[in-house]
Order: sequence, then C-alpha cells, then structure tokens
Amino acid sequence: MTKNLAPIDRIGRVVLGVVAAFSLLLLVAPSLIVVAISFEPRGFIAFPPSGFSLRWYEHVFANRQLTDSVVVSLWVSLAVAGITLALGVPAAFASVRGTFAGKAAANAFLLAPQMMPGMVIGIASLFFGAYFAFRASNAMLILALSVFCLPFVIRIAMARLAGLDPRLDEASANLGAGKLETFVRVTLPQLGPALVAAAAFTFIEAFDNVTVALFTSDVRGRPLPVELYYLVQYDSTPAIAAISALEIGLSFAIMLVLARTVGLERLGR
Amino acid sequence: MSSAPLLRRILHGRGIWPAVPALAYLFVFLALPMLTLLAFGFVTIDRGRIVADTWTLGYLEAALADDLVWRLMWRSFWVAAVSSVLTLLLAYPVAYLFAEAKGIWRTLILVAVVSPLLTSALVRAYAWIVILGGRRGLVNQTLLSLGLIEQPLRILNTDWAVLIGMTQIHLPFMILPLLAVLAERDRRLEEASLNLGASQTGTFFRVVVPMSVPAIFAGLALVFAVSYTNFIVPQLLGGGSYSTLAVQVYEQTIVVLDWTRGAVLATILLSTCFAFVLAIVAFGNRLARWNESAA
Amino acid sequence: MSHIALQDIAKSFGPVRVLDGCSVAVDKGTVMTLLGPSGCGKTTLLRTLAGFVEPDSGRVVVGGRDITDLPPNRRQVGYVFQSYALFPHLDVAANVAYGLRVRRVSQAETQARVRKALDLVSLSAYADRYPARLSGGQQQRVAIARALVLEPEVLLLDEPFNALDAKLRLSMQIELRKLIERVGITSIFVTHDQQEAMTLSDRVAVMRAGRIEQVGAPIDIYDRPRTAYVAAFIGRANVLPVDIRGGRVAPDPAIAAARADGAAWLVVRPENLAIENAGEGPGWHGTVAFATPQGATIEYEIAVGMAEPLRVVALRKVGEPPAAVGSPVRVRAVDPAACVVLGEGPDSV
Repeated sequence: MTKNLAPIDRIGRVVLGVVAAFSLLLLVAPSLIVVAISFEPRGFIAFPPSGFSLRWYEHVFANRQLTDSVVVSLWVSLAVAGITLALGVPAAFASVRGTFAGKAAANAFLLAPQMMPGMVIGIASLFFGAYFAFRASNAMLILALSVFCLPFVIRIAMARLAGLDPRLDEASANLGAGKLETFVRVTLPQLGPALVAAAAFTFIEAFDNVTVALFTSDVRGRPLPVELYYLVQYDSTPAIAAISALEIGLSFAIMLVLARTVGLERLGR
Repeated sequence: MSSAPLLRRILHGRGIWPAVPALAYLFVFLALPMLTLLAFGFVTIDRGRIVADTWTLGYLEAALADDLVWRLMWRSFWVAAVSSVLTLLLAYPVAYLFAEAKGIWRTLILVAVVSPLLTSALVRAYAWIVILGGRRGLVNQTLLSLGLIEQPLRILNTDWAVLIGMTQIHLPFMILPLLAVLAERDRRLEEASLNLGASQTGTFFRVVVPMSVPAIFAGLALVFAVSYTNFIVPQLLGGGSYSTLAVQVYEQTIVVLDWTRGAVLATILLSTCFAFVLAIVAFGNRLARWNESAA
Repeated sequence: MSHIALQDIAKSFGPVRVLDGCSVAVDKGTVMTLLGPSGCGKTTLLRTLAGFVEPDSGRVVVGGRDITDLPPNRRQVGYVFQSYALFPHLDVAANVAYGLRVRRVSQAETQARVRKALDLVSLSAYADRYPARLSGGQQQRVAIARALVLEPEVLLLDEPFNALDAKLRLSMQIELRKLIERVGITSIFVTHDQQEAMTLSDRVAVMRAGRIEQVGAPIDIYDRPRTAYVAAFIGRANVLPVDIRGGRVAPDPAIAAARADGAAWLVVRPENLAIENAGEGPGWHGTVAFATPQGATIEYEIAVGMAEPLRVVALRKVGEPPAAVGSPVRVRAVDPAACVVLGEGPDSV
C-alpha cells in the first residue's frame, strides 16, 4: 500500500503525523514537566531540575493549611460523588426507560447544567444563598458542585442503560423475578462498571474544580483548588509543583484502577 | 397494583418517578439560583436582599453603554474563536491517528488524551507559567541556549500565553467527540472514493472530513463555550492587568463585591455565549444537512 | 380440550393494528409453529402469551386457567428469546439457576436441578463459562435449559435458529425436536422459515397481517392451501388465472373444479407440472424462457403470455441437455388431483 503513494499523499501523511505527534506532546508534556520540577532541591523553579530532592514534598506535608485543605476537598468530593450517584442513576433510568409525557423536556432539564459554566453556577449559588442569608460555605460548595457534576453521572448511566438489552429484563420476568428483583439482579450488576467510572470522574472533577469553588467555598476551611489558586499567583517556589504532582498521582492512581476494572476504551466514551 | 409498595411502583420503570429527586434538586439548586442571578442585575441589592420597588433596566443599559464591556467582550470572543480553531487543527490528526492505530498504540493515545482531563486546569495553567515564564522559562531557556534568540521572548502575560493555555487545556474536549466518530466511521465509503479514482488525500478531504462535520461542530461549540467563559487561564497566564468579560465577572463579584454589576455582566456573558454557540451549531447543521434525518 | 388457547387476541400499537383477532389452540404435548413474514404479528402473539404484551382484547388460557391478567413473572411459561437474552454477567450455571434463585429454592435442590438441566442439553462441561465465550448453538441450549429447569407448562421459542449459521441450523432443529419430544412439553415456535416449520412442528399456523390464515399439519397445508398467499408462502407455487367450464379447468380439462363456471385461480406446484412437445392439445402453450440445471432437477421458466412465467421443475437425466430457450412447449399437470382451485387469487399486485 505505502509503496506507490502519490506525492500529495506522502506529504499528507507526513503533515498528519507531525501535527498529531505535536498535539500528543502538547497534551502530556506540561504535566510531566510539573512532576519533574517538583523534585527541584533549590528554592526556585528550574527545568530540568538541578538535582533530586523530596524537600518540597516535605514542605507540603508540613503545611497545616494545605493538608487541611486536602481533607476538606476529599470530604467535599466524596459527598458530591454520593449525591450525584443517588440522584443521577434513578434519573437516568427514567430518562432511558420511561415513557411519560414531557420526557424530552425532563431530559433536557436534567442535562441543562452542562451548558452552564462553572462560574455562573457558582455565582448563582452564592446569590441564591445570600438571598436566604446563607453565606458561602462548604455545604454550599457541595450543593453547587453536585449541580455541576450531575449531568456527567446521568450521561454515563444513560449511555450504559441504553446499551442494555431490554430483553434481559423480560427474560428475568419470564423466569419469575419481579421488577425490584430484576433491577437488583440484572440491571445493577451490568450498570456497575459504568457507575464506578461515573463516581471516579465525578470525584476527580469535584476534587479539581476551581471555577465553582472560588464563589461558594468557605473562607476558612478552603478546599485544595482554591488554596492552590491563590498559591499559584503569589508563590514562586516548587511547592506548587509538588502539590500538582501529588494531584496528578492521585488522578492516575484512580485511572489505573478504572482501567483495570472497567477498561480504558469505555472511559473515552 | 395500587397496593404495591412505593419502591416497587418507582421501579416499575415507565414513569417519571425515578427522575423526580434529580429534577427537584435541579429546580431548587439550579433554576432558582439562575433566576436570582438574573434578577440581581435589575434591582438594588442590600446585604443579599432585594430592595423593594427598585427594579430598573438602568444597570443593564449602563453596562451596554460602557466601552470597556464591549472591548472585553471582543477580546473574549476572538480568544475563544481562535483557540477553538487551533484546537480543531491540533485535535483532528490525533483523532484520525487513533482511528487508524491498533492495539497498544490506541491505548497510549487514549491515555494521552484522557490524562489531561484528570489533572486540574489549575495545574496545567501553572505548568504553562513554568514553561513560558520569564528568562528561566523552558521556552526561553531552549531558544537562548540554541542561539536562536538573543533576548528572552515575552510570552507570559500576553495574548499568546492565554491562547496557548486555552488551546492546550481544552484540546481533549475536541479530540473525544472526533475520536468516537472517526473510529466508528464506515470505511467502505473511503474504499468507494479510492475506487472512483480519488487520491488518499483527496478522499480524506472529500469524504472523511465532511462525514465528521457534526462532530467537528459539536467540538467547536463546546470548546468555544468553555474558552469564552474561562476566567482562570486569562488571570493566570494573561497577568494582573489582563482582563476578559469572564475575568470581569469574577472580579466584580468577588474582589469589588459589586454584585449588581457582577450579575449584569454574568447575564451578558451567558447570553452572548449561548448566542455564539447557537450560531456555531446552526452553521454546522447547514453544512451537514444530509445528517438531518438521522437526528 | 386444548392445552393452550389464545382466543380472539387483538392488539394495536398506536395506529398500527398488529393483531387482528387471532385464535390459536395447541393440544397438550404437541408442537405448534406460528409462521409468517416479518411484521405479520407472530412475535407479538407469542409475547402476549408470555405476558410481555397486554392484549387490547381477547383471552389467554393455559391448562384451563385464564392467565390474561397475570404479570409475566407469575406465569408458568418458558420463553426462549431470539438471540437468547442470556445474562452476560452470570455464568452458564448461574443463568440456569436464575429462576430457581428467584423462587428461593434451596441451595442443594438448585444445584441438583441445574445439573440435571445442563445434562439434558449436554452442557455440563460448560457450567462455569460466561455466555460471551459460548458458540451460538451452545447459547441456544443454555437458553432452553434456563427455561426448562423451571418445569414450565409450555415452552415458547422466538426464532430460536435465527442467530445460528445455516449449516448448524438443520442439525440443531432435529436435536431440538428430539429434546422436546423427550420432555413432552407443549411448545410454540415462531419462525419465518417454512422449512423450519416443516421440520419442527406437528401443526402450523400461517399468519398474515395480524390474522391467522390457515392452521393444520404442515403437509396438509402444503397439499391443500386455502389461499393463494398460503400456497406461495409454504413451498413454491404457480398461482394461475383460469376459467372454469363445466366443472373443469379450461386450459387443462384433466383438472376437476368443484365450483361454478367463471374465473378462478389454480394453484399448482412446480414439480407437478411437466413439459410436453408443442402441438395441439390441452395445457398451457408457451416457449422456454429460462432453464437452470440444478443437479437432480432442471428448473424452467415458461413464458405463456401471463404476467408471471410458469415455473416447472423436471427431473434431470444425465447427458440430456435442457430444452433450448425459445423452443415452443406445452405444459400439463402431472397429477390433476394435486392441483387446488381457489376463488381468489393473490392480492392485486
């Protein structure tokens, strides 16, 4: 095939390959550079690092404000993953299997948050809370982030549910199982991997989110992204690189587990 | 059937019941807040409360009469537009390569595309500060040591830095929809094109690209929207005095604490964003009229 | 008293009337096939029997009990789905055990019954395989074992051979027929394949556009189709417009017709026609339009001036060339008694 290519096709292939390689480099290089910088022994940023040290990791772990913010973020993300799963999975069920009037409108509304920038959801929540004399707090952050992340869970669950063979439910009924038993024995086990993926992605998104958090989070117990947002602007030591490397490490650990349990191909969908 | 337990009725699987909690949640924590946001731009606010009988279009009119607002909107627009197109040009070859790749290469490309999604935008913006920043920035270091330049380039805190950051951060949003479409495309069409005498390059531009127009415009609309409303990247990579409409919304709300102005600007940001996205989608639909019945 | 009785079942999906008053009765221990082209309502009728479809009107009676209003999970009706609907997340044994687990049958009894069911379909060695790793034929047997392990009153099979390749089909059909005879269960098949219907069933119900067109033993339907539609659907048939004069069919008076003079339709199978030398005499006069030697037989198309050519199947003798295309011939019925005269022809085409 490749032997007798027209000149234009050779050029086309080269251009395609070069651009693709550049894009892939662009995608992964920044994260790798950040990880490399985090091992810098000196007090300022340099690439390549002048040596290898874990000094800035020690610095990060010794910083009470930072470790506290990590704990806050972990709790917030767990809560958001829990809320969105509890709300999103049944909603996806109705969206796919339901035959009620106004289904199209309901589906559109369920996916509406994905058209809203995080900032707008954040500000709207801030104003709405203020109207009832609620100040920005991590409870408000959880509620707002759950709005932001809900379409994510619903879409993943919907895609999986739509892919399920409805005849499996009929087979289950034919073999004597009621609706509830069919859901528990047939639907849920097949939904499982998709739900794990949805929960993981929601967790990571909630953990990383800064656009909603800047408007709704507590002034004292700040979550990690907000803490990081201020650090990036006012701190020039490799400490930020160390935190970033840890975040990247956490995300990759989650993704590895997912790849093992769910399969990477499915994550892309 | 009416005596069946509630749970059983909910799981009956045909009704709206299972969606009710989510719908109620979104009504309370999305619809009502959005209404509040809208309202706050048309009334005097005192400690979070609406002051009665102060409804006015004055704030909106003032904002629309303000030159600064229009200048910021223009910058938001062109930055988002240019970065969407750049994203497309960089994304398409990757998605195409993925569709052609096999086995381990597919996995590697997928990891490269998905992994940035798993690292926060903040971290990636920080990475660009490191790469582009000052004399010690990676780019300047390399160019200086190669002798290609004598003075370090000023990239950070310019439009360039904002464009580069936006493009890189939103690249996966463009690749993913393209990837799915290109990987599952009907290759017989290309064989037909080659059989009819077209070159591979000709086939690519006459068959492959047109068939992916819906995915292209879905990606463009998405990347435009997230770029247009992104305020983190302009703040961090554009520098302290760099501003866009989205940055203004943030500053008015959080720094200046002028909530009325913040609400007005947020409303303008959101409505113009919707208008641009609708225009992109409409244009895409016109280009892909053959796709209409499939919807 | 029949074991299964579907009485006057009607069902519409929106404006489409899928079942238009269907009645079928199946005797205990016999196999019935619902035969018809896709869209004729045969699967809907089967799904009504299993309770997946609620009929607009009509009754479903099994073993003398009216089960029309029972939900599907409370009917003793085994169902083998088209492409089988095996649970992908359960292995073979767990698929077969599913109905027993749902019924809270004890662990020991479940194991024993699953083993027996898998023995019955010769799949004991595959108990811990997942469905994705089974061949189509094996999947079919799992689906049958999963239904039979519950000892249902009747067994329903929706196009069970559709998912199998053609080679496997015939041997699986015979295997399945033997299995059903061994178990002695009243069964209903759905298929669009008339050969399959012939192999599998004691009786066939030919369906058309939501109605039952004819019910009977397969060979009876083949020999005595009641309508042109049935004649054309079961086997191949020439359906010819003819004139009746004095109780005889005009072109070939050897064929008797017990009806009044006037226009009628004649059904005659291709193998019941023979080619004779041209010349004066009774029969259809025409020319050979096409000849296809098929090995044991030669298939002819004879142009006789009607919309459709006559199809004739003649035995082939080694060394004998087929009649030349264009040569004039006369066609006659071999066995006049095997011809059927009908008042109505095929639908106006």
